[in-house]
Amino acid sequence: MSSEELAPLVSRLGGTINAGPKTTVLTVPPDRVVDACKGVSSLPGWYHLSTITGMDLGQDIAILYHFWQGKRFVQVRTQIPKSAPRLPSISGALAAGTLYEAEIQDLLGVAFEGNPFLGKKLLLPDVYPPDAPPPLRKEADPHKIKKMMELE
Amino acid sequence: MQYSPEGMMPFGPVHPSLKEPEYFKLFLEGEKIVAVEPRIGYVHRGIERAAQERTWVKNIYLFERICGICSFHHSIAYTEGVEELAPFEIPKRAKYLRELVAELERIHSHLLWLGLLGHWAGFDTLFMWIWKDREHILDIEEAISGNRVNKSYTTLGGVRNDLPDGLADRIRTEMAYIEKRAVYYKGLVQSEETIVARTKGRGRINQELARKLCPVGPLLRSTGIARDVRAEDPYASYGDVPPVVQTSNAGDIASLLTLRLNEITDSCRMVKETLEKMPSGPYRVNFPRSVPAGEATFHVEAPRGELFYFVKSSGGSVPERVKVRTSTLANILTATEMLKGHVLADVPVVLTGMDPCFGCMDRISVVDVDKSKEWTIGGEALRRYGIDYYRRK
Repeated sequence: MSSEELAPLVSRLGGTINAGPKTTVLTVPPDRVVDACKGVSSLPGWYHLSTITGMDLGQDIAILYHFWQGKRFVQVRTQIPKSAPRLPSISGALAAGTLYEAEIQDLLGVAFEGNPFLGKKLLLPDVYPPDAPPPLRKEADPHKIKKMMELE
Repeated sequence: MQYSPEGMMPFGPVHPSLKEPEYFKLFLEGEKIVAVEPRIGYVHRGIERAAQERTWVKNIYLFERICGICSFHHSIAYTEGVEELAPFEIPKRAKYLRELVAELERIHSHLLWLGLLGHWAGFDTLFMWIWKDREHILDIEEAISGNRVNKSYTTLGGVRNDLPDGLADRIRTEMAYIEKRAVYYKGLVQSEETIVARTKGRGRINQELARKLCPVGPLLRSTGIARDVRAEDPYASYGDVPPVVQTSNAGDIASLLTLRLNEITDSCRMVKETLEKMPSGPYRVNFPRSVPAGEATFHVEAPRGELFYFVKSSGGSVPERVKVRTSTLANILTATEMLKGHVLADVPVVLTGMDPCFGCMDRISVVDVDKSKEWTIGGEALRRYGIDYYRRK
């Protein structure tokens, strides 16, 4: 998808477009993520959400929504502070995102408001220490967590 | 400290990697399934987190251990993703060799699935026949790479070794054999009473649901949507030797049987064509230890569907982040819809229909909605229940 095709969506939502050789990145503020994902998925042929990636950037967490069609990807990207890791869920508009959000909730501690798994565990065991950092965060030390769980 | 049974499964407090075994809580009204709740992560090994502490090359061996069935697809998705970040031209012969082994892996994966479906449906003879035929493919894979399962064949910059002398003729002979067997199995699954009774009309999905839940692979194509990464976004040498994308309009388990058998036949054709067209020349170039900073999004068509990798490098000798989305994770929500409206006896065949890992069948919880009663049923007990149910009918 070219930047021109996404331009109306960006002008409506506020954000930036960066078109790479294979991926067009659409960066939006956190509160516009649902609209952005709905906007991309409603474009002809762009219904397929491949997955959602969460990345610990240190102070912030980046959330990347990957859509695929043909030889190109569109990546809707947003960033939230680690101190307030909350984001509206896309699961109401795009059911395919339900488990991908639940996975990020478990592993990076991001609460997706409106996701049916909000507050429930999908991947982590029920005995995961509530005071331990989510396991994919940079500050999480696997050995310390294992000790807290009496596994080491 | 007391652990729940789930908590006693191997667990690393890191990121998901093997997402194959699932837990399904089934809500029943009498025999009928009215709701399904998935719970996964039981063999969570934290491979994504572990990858952040290993070098680019070491990670090849780590990622191919995500799945023993489609191990090679994990390694090519990772290596081709990383190769996108480095300005290197990968030798064409290496690209062909990758496609060759990937298609062999697809054949053995589909054969494995067909055999398992026979087993869950109570047709163990089919299971024995098919798994015997699958050995032919595993033997070829061993002859090419030295290993049957974790082949470690692809590497950054190409593949580890060239095709051994004289092996091409043996591969052609084996492909002719598998093609013949696929024709036989196709006739069998379309006419054999047990298989037809257990699969026709079972686990039905349609295009509307597929567009909503975004399943991948044969499950998606069984609804008539012709999406295949190999054809749509070619990697390896799929641009030169493309697949003929197989579809069906029935969207049930019976159509998945035929579809996967057609894919086996097409993969045999592609293996032979790859051997014919394979150029001579080097099969590997030296690849740098550090990968330039950047992000790459890459995906391949694994036997179970789109396998997704996102790679981020900060320019060092280890990745900053590697995200993996396995095919089965994309299919779990669809599988829960496939089960609704069916009876408990259909669970083994319908769940196997989406081609999950073996382990999932050992964790089925059943809730009787009317009596508010909950119990757990093991894999073998559920298999026997399904077989007896259809015998009584």
